[in-house]
Amino acid sequence: MATFTDTIASTFGLEGPGGVFIAGFIGAAIIGTVLLLFSAVAGPWAKRKITAAFTDRIAVNRVGPFGLLIIVADAVRLMSKELVIPEGADRPAFDLAPALLAASALLGFAVIPMGSLFGVNLQLADPETGLVYVFAVSSIATIALVMGGYASANKYSLLGGLRAVAQNIAYEIPLVLTAASVVLFTGTLQLSEIVAQQTEPLLSVAGVTIPAWFAFVNPFAFVLFLAANMAEVGRNPFDIPEAPTEIVAGYQTEYSSIYFVLFYLGEFLHIFLGGAIAATVFLGGPAGPVLPGFIWFTIKIWAFFLLTQWARSAIPRVRIDQLIEIGWKGMLVLSFANLILTAVIVGAFL
Amino acid sequence: MSTQKDPDDEATDAETGTDYESLLGDAYLGDDEFVNGDGVVVRADAVADVVQTLRDEAGYDHLSAVTAQQYEDRYESIYHLKRYDDPTDRVNVVVPTAASDPRSQSAANVFRTADWHEREAYDLVGVNYEDHPDLRRILLPETWQGHPMSRDYNQTKPQIVTLESHRNPLEAHHQEEESDTMFLNIGPHHPATHGVLHLETVLDGEQVADVEPDIGYLHRCEEQMAEHGTYRYQIMPYPDRWDYASAGILNEWAYARAAEELADIEVPEYAQVMRTMSAELCRIAAHTLAVGTFALDIYGDFTAIFMYAMRDREVIQKILEELTGQRMMFNYFRLGGVVWDLPEPRDEFFELTRDFLEELPERLEEYHDLISSNEIFQLRCVDTGVLPADVAKDYGVTGPVARASGIDYDLRRDDPYGYYDQLDWDVVTDDGADNYSRLLVRLQEVEESAKIIEQCLDLLEDWPEDDRTIQSNVPRTLKPEADKEVYSAVEAAKGELGIYIRADGTDKPGRFKIRSPCFSNLQSLPEMAEGEYVPDLVAALGSLDIILGEVDR
Repeated sequence: MATFTDTIASTFGLEGPGGVFIAGFIGAAIIGTVLLLFSAVAGPWAKRKITAAFTDRIAVNRVGPFGLLIIVADAVRLMSKELVIPEGADRPAFDLAPALLAASALLGFAVIPMGSLFGVNLQLADPETGLVYVFAVSSIATIALVMGGYASANKYSLLGGLRAVAQNIAYEIPLVLTAASVVLFTGTLQLSEIVAQQTEPLLSVAGVTIPAWFAFVNPFAFVLFLAANMAEVGRNPFDIPEAPTEIVAGYQTEYSSIYFVLFYLGEFLHIFLGGAIAATVFLGGPAGPVLPGFIWFTIKIWAFFLLTQWARSAIPRVRIDQLIEIGWKGMLVLSFANLILTAVIVGAFL
Repeated sequence: MSTQKDPDDEATDAETGTDYESLLGDAYLGDDEFVNGDGVVVRADAVADVVQTLRDEAGYDHLSAVTAQQYEDRYESIYHLKRYDDPTDRVNVVVPTAASDPRSQSAANVFRTADWHEREAYDLVGVNYEDHPDLRRILLPETWQGHPMSRDYNQTKPQIVTLESHRNPLEAHHQEEESDTMFLNIGPHHPATHGVLHLETVLDGEQVADVEPDIGYLHRCEEQMAEHGTYRYQIMPYPDRWDYASAGILNEWAYARAAEELADIEVPEYAQVMRTMSAELCRIAAHTLAVGTFALDIYGDFTAIFMYAMRDREVIQKILEELTGQRMMFNYFRLGGVVWDLPEPRDEFFELTRDFLEELPERLEEYHDLISSNEIFQLRCVDTGVLPADVAKDYGVTGPVARASGIDYDLRRDDPYGYYDQLDWDVVTDDGADNYSRLLVRLQEVEESAKIIEQCLDLLEDWPEDDRTIQSNVPRTLKPEADKEVYSAVEAAKGELGIYIRADGTDKPGRFKIRSPCFSNLQSLPEMAEGEYVPDLVAALGSLDIILGEVDR
C-alpha cells in the first residue's frame, strides 16, 4: 500500500528525490498538526475532565461548552508567562532539552501506520526496520530529560534527571524484548507488515470473529508491554522522575513559559506514541469494524491515554529502589521468559 | 509513690506524693505548689541528675514540656514531667536561676525532647542551658537581637537585619571537595512540607544521611498574644489558630481545661456532652485531612483518595458550621461551657450528623480499598519510617504517632475530662511503629470518634429540656490568685496539647505556655528518616501529620 508521502507525491505530481522530500515534508506537517491537536489541545482538557471524573469533581465547565474554550485560555496563559532561565543554567543544553523531548516523540510517529481516511493511507514512511526505528527515536527522550535535569543547575532537577535515566534503562529492555517476541511471530520489523498479519482471524465464537491481534495471541506479553510502557512514559506508578511531593517536579522544576509547554507537550506526545506502539504491535493497528481505520487508531491511542490517567488517579507511586528492583528483577526476567517461550512455540509449531 | 487515680480531686497528688527530699538528695531545695500535681524546686546545676532520677527511679518517663519564664528577681525553668502509663501522676521540676546570669543545666542528655524545648526557652526567654548539645535559636531567625519574652526586652528595637549579614543557609554544609554527599534544602517552599517547614537534608545518592528540621517560619507569638488577653473572652479565639486544620475545638478545650482548673470553674454536664461531641467532630475532620494529605505524599498528586478525604471532611465542616457558625475558626468554647446550644431546629442538626455517621463506615471501607489494602501502598509504607516505642518516649511523642508505636497513651481515657469516661469507646494502638501503622491508627480513630459522637447525640436527644445548661456562672472578670500555676493537657488531634498558665493576680495570665504535640513529634523525624530514601522521608513527614501553625505557634 502506498504511503502517505507517495500519495501526496503522486497527487501533486512531485517526482524525484526532491519531490519525495517535499511530499514528505507536507505529509509530516499534516500528521504533526493532527498530533499537536491531540496532545496540546485536546490532551490537557481531556486530562482535566478524566481526572475530575475519577476524583468526584466537575473540572472546567465555565468557558465554552464543556469548558472547551479553556484550551484557548490555557494557551494564552502559558505562552504569555515570563521565561525564567536560572542563573548558572547550561545554556544550549537547557534550551535544547524541551525541543528534543517533543521532537523524539514526533519522529516516532513517522513510521506508525495510522490507518486510512477517505482511502488515503496515513503512514509517512514504511521502512523495513520500522519497529527498531520507533524504539530508537523514542528513547532519545531520556537524553532530553537528563539534559534538562543537568543543565538546570538545580539539585531537584538533577535528581529527576538521574531518576529518569535509571528508570528508562531499566524499562527499555523489557519493552524491546516484549516487542521482539511479537517479531518472532511476524518475522518482520516492518510495521505495516506487523499490522497486516494481525488481520487474520484467530478463532470464531458464535459468529463473532476474534482477529489475531497479538494482545489475544500472547496476552502475557501485552500486559508486560503495557506495564513497561507505563514506566517508559513516566506515569504512575512509575512517575518518579517528576515525583511532585518528593523532588518538586524533577527535571522540569526550573522550566517555565514556552519551555514548560514544550516539556508538557513532549510528555503527552510520548504517551500517545506509547499508545500508538501498543496499538500497532498488539492491537491490530488501525483495524476495527465499521469505522475508518484512522478513527479506530485514534480510539486506541486515546484508550491508552485514559489508562495512564486512570493509573495516575488510583495507584500510588513506587519508590526509586523498588522501581529499579521491579524493573531488573521482575520485568526483565519475565520478558526474557516470554521471549524464550515464544521462540520455542514459534520454532516448534509454526 | 502514688499510683492512685483520682480525677475528681487531682490536687491530692501533692499530698500523697513522693518524698522528693530523700529521692533527690541535696539537689532538692523545696516544694512548689501546682494546681494539679506536685512541684519540686531543685538546684540549677543538678537538673540532669534530678530528671534522670525521677525518670529511672520514680517512673516519670514523659517530659511533656519545658516552660521558662522571668520573674522580677529570677528566671525559672519548669520541666513538666508525667508518666506514660498514668498521666495524672505529675511532677513539675522548677529550676530557679539568677536574674543576672541565667544558667541552668540542660536535661537534653536525659530526655531528647528537652533539646528543642530548651532551645525554645533560650530563644524566647533567654535562659542559657549548659551542656546542651546545640543551643541556638529555634523559632526566631538566627540574627534576632534579644529574647522577646524576657522582661528587659526592648520592644521598640528594630529587628531588620540586612541581607549581607544574613546567615547563608548553606554555609555550614558547603560541600567539601572529597565529599560524596549532597546538601539539599527541602522547603520552606516544597510540595511535601505541609506548610512552611524547612528540612536541611544531606543526601547520599537518594538516601538521607542527615536531616534537620528548621522551624519558626510560622511563628506568630501566640503565647505572648495570649498573655495580653483576658481569661474570660480574649484568649479563646487564639487556640483555633494553632492547629488550624479543622482541629480548632480540640485546641480550645486545652485552654478551657487549663483555665477552668486554674480558676476552679465547674462545667455543666450538658455542656460537657456538647464539648465532647464537637471535639470529636473536629478530630474526624483533622484525621481525614491527615489521611488525605498522607496519601497525597505517597501518590504524589491530588488524586482520588485526597479528594475523597476532602469531600468527607467537607460534610463535617458543614456540621460544625451549623453548630458554631464558623467553618474553621470556631471560637465555640467558653470558660464554664460552650457559647450556645445546638442550632434550632435540633432535629435537623441530629439528622445531618446522623446521616454523616451512617455513611461513614462505607466511606472508610472505600479508604481501605483505595489505600490501606493497596499492595503498592503497603510496599511504600510498611516498615518505613520506623519509630520504636522507647525512642518515641524519649522524644515525648504523643497522639496517634505514639499509639502507632504501641504506646497506650490517650489522655481522653488516662486523664479523663469532658464526658469521655462515661462513654463506651476504645483507645486504638498498633505495634507496627511504621508509616502504615500511623495511617491505620488514624483511620480506626475515626471509627472510635464516630462511636463517641453517636453516643453524645443519643444523650443530647434525650436530655430533659429544662436542664440544658450550656454555661455555668462565671464572673465577668476572672482574676485567679497570684502565683497560682497549672499545667494541664488534653488529647488534641495530634497528641498531648498542654497549657501552662501562671496567674499574676490580674485578669490576664502572667505566663502562658503552649505545649504543642506537633512540636515534639516533629523532633523525632530524623530518627524515622535517616538512612531511608527521600520518598520515605516525605512519607514519614506526612505520617507525622504536623501542622506548622501548631509547631511554630
